[in-house]
Amino acid sequence: MEHSNGRSAKESAADGLAELQLLHLADSALPIGSLAHSFGLEALVAEELLDVARLPEFFEVYLCEAGLVEAVFCREAWRIGNVAAEAFSPNEWLDLNEKLSARKPSRESRAASAALGQHFMMAVNGLGDFPMIAQAFHASQRSRSMIHHSTAFGLAGGALGFASGSVVAAFLHQSLAGLISACQRLMPFGQREATRLLWKLKPAILQTSARSELRTVDDVASFTPLVDWGAMEHPVLVTRLFIS
Amino acid sequence: MAQTQEAASAARFGASLAGRVDASLSLGFERRETGGATVLSEAAQSPPLRVIRAFPTEDQSALVHLHNVSGGVLGGDRLALSVRVGYGASAQLTTTGATRVYRSRGDNLSAIQVNEIAVEENGLLEYVPDAIIPFAGARFQQQTRIQLSAGAGLFWWEILAPGREARGECFAYSRVGLRTEIHACGRLIAFENVDLEPAKIHMGAIARLGVYRYWITFYFCRAGDASSKWLAAEAHMRETAAPWCKPGEMLWSVSTLPADGLAIRGLARRGREILPALQALWSSAKVFLYGRAPILPRKVQ
Repeated sequence: MEHSNGRSAKESAADGLAELQLLHLADSALPIGSLAHSFGLEALVAEELLDVARLPEFFEVYLCEAGLVEAVFCREAWRIGNVAAEAFSPNEWLDLNEKLSARKPSRESRAASAALGQHFMMAVNGLGDFPMIAQAFHASQRSRSMIHHSTAFGLAGGALGFASGSVVAAFLHQSLAGLISACQRLMPFGQREATRLLWKLKPAILQTSARSELRTVDDVASFTPLVDWGAMEHPVLVTRLFIS
Repeated sequence: MAQTQEAASAARFGASLAGRVDASLSLGFERRETGGATVLSEAAQSPPLRVIRAFPTEDQSALVHLHNVSGGVLGGDRLALSVRVGYGASAQLTTTGATRVYRSRGDNLSAIQVNEIAVEENGLLEYVPDAIIPFAGARFQQQTRIQLSAGAGLFWWEILAPGREARGECFAYSRVGLRTEIHACGRLIAFENVDLEPAKIHMGAIARLGVYRYWITFYFCRAGDASSKWLAAEAHMRETAAPWCKPGEMLWSVSTLPADGLAIRGLARRGREILPALQALWSSAKVFLYGRAPILPRKVQ
């Protein structure tokens, strides 16, 4: 039986399953600890640099800068993972993560990204028999290398055969949802406003995902000095809601 | 390979490789076997980049002032600085003044500066220049690649000013790109790449500079030191930085790199107190790492 769009029922069911699986991996309820980190936001709020009124612009700029870097790395990880299992290169995967580590000047943000990456890989590895994911995970364990959230997400998306654009957009969406959730706990920012903000940022997420196609891990640029400052200062805040 | 990268960068920043002005400065430092003092053993230079001589310092290091005798960097200039610090040698490089990047002419050519730095085993390089000041309409791209061998040390800072503030210029430059990568024993430990076009982005956004105008980045590294040492260094440098932090005026933050060093970042509203703060941080870092204070360039003593 063929649908009106020319796709068979089997193909449509496969697409539907892929969509559901991607939704699952990008769900903030996936138990990887994504709500435990503020990536510097807590310090910015504590210093009264960031408030509710400034959140829309803040996240637009965040996506343009730090979001773009993560998107480019996520996309590159997707490319590394979107091959036959026997063609997968764990070293290429580890090198990519090392490059991303070098781009993160804040120890705390680097460690948070790596913790999420590791937990994400463990979670995916536990969902089925995915040889490439297992190989990547064990390679990082053996070499004691950091694996980051964006690259883990991209690799899994590629290995599981999801479309690259959807994977990058889903990763950005999940990251942003986590940061907005952090803001709900840090400032008088209600659930409805938070939901509305995330809704309004969806076009910016797609723009960032599209821009990431035009950049490489070697040439993508970013300028977020105050966010970096917040992340570097967070470990010495006197009171903290989020992990240091 | 380097040429290809340069050509790609030039194309990205609107520069043509034809009709350009090339200048290069290649410096080599060696440690004398007798006495242990460092000497400037190689100084190949083509104008307008110049080095007059190396000054011996009390700690057996060699101090060199980098000159640009044209008075500044012009659109279309291609400047190359190559520095090699040999085994056990110690060199300090500074500038005779701010790096002034002039307005690009009608052809919109970028000025390109490429720095290739190698510090060999147990060598030390201290690179402590004045600020980069991009004038209104300036286009400038700098690429720096630093390679540290085992035991090699590095103190490296850069200050990006918003423009000629006294003339009321603030973020009036066309485009500034700064790309820096540091490798320690072959491992990439720091990579930053900024590409700023103030006419297209809001520099004062909270995710960028907020109320601050100057951006300072300072790395201090030694290849091979244990990670526990760097965590202690981070705590030590936080204490040093704390008195210089005045919210709304100047902020400093400190963090360990993935390995072999620390990144210190500064944001300042005005330029006046940046160098004193950096010198305090440099002194503290050098005492922590080498057990002795740096010899400050005479211009700041």
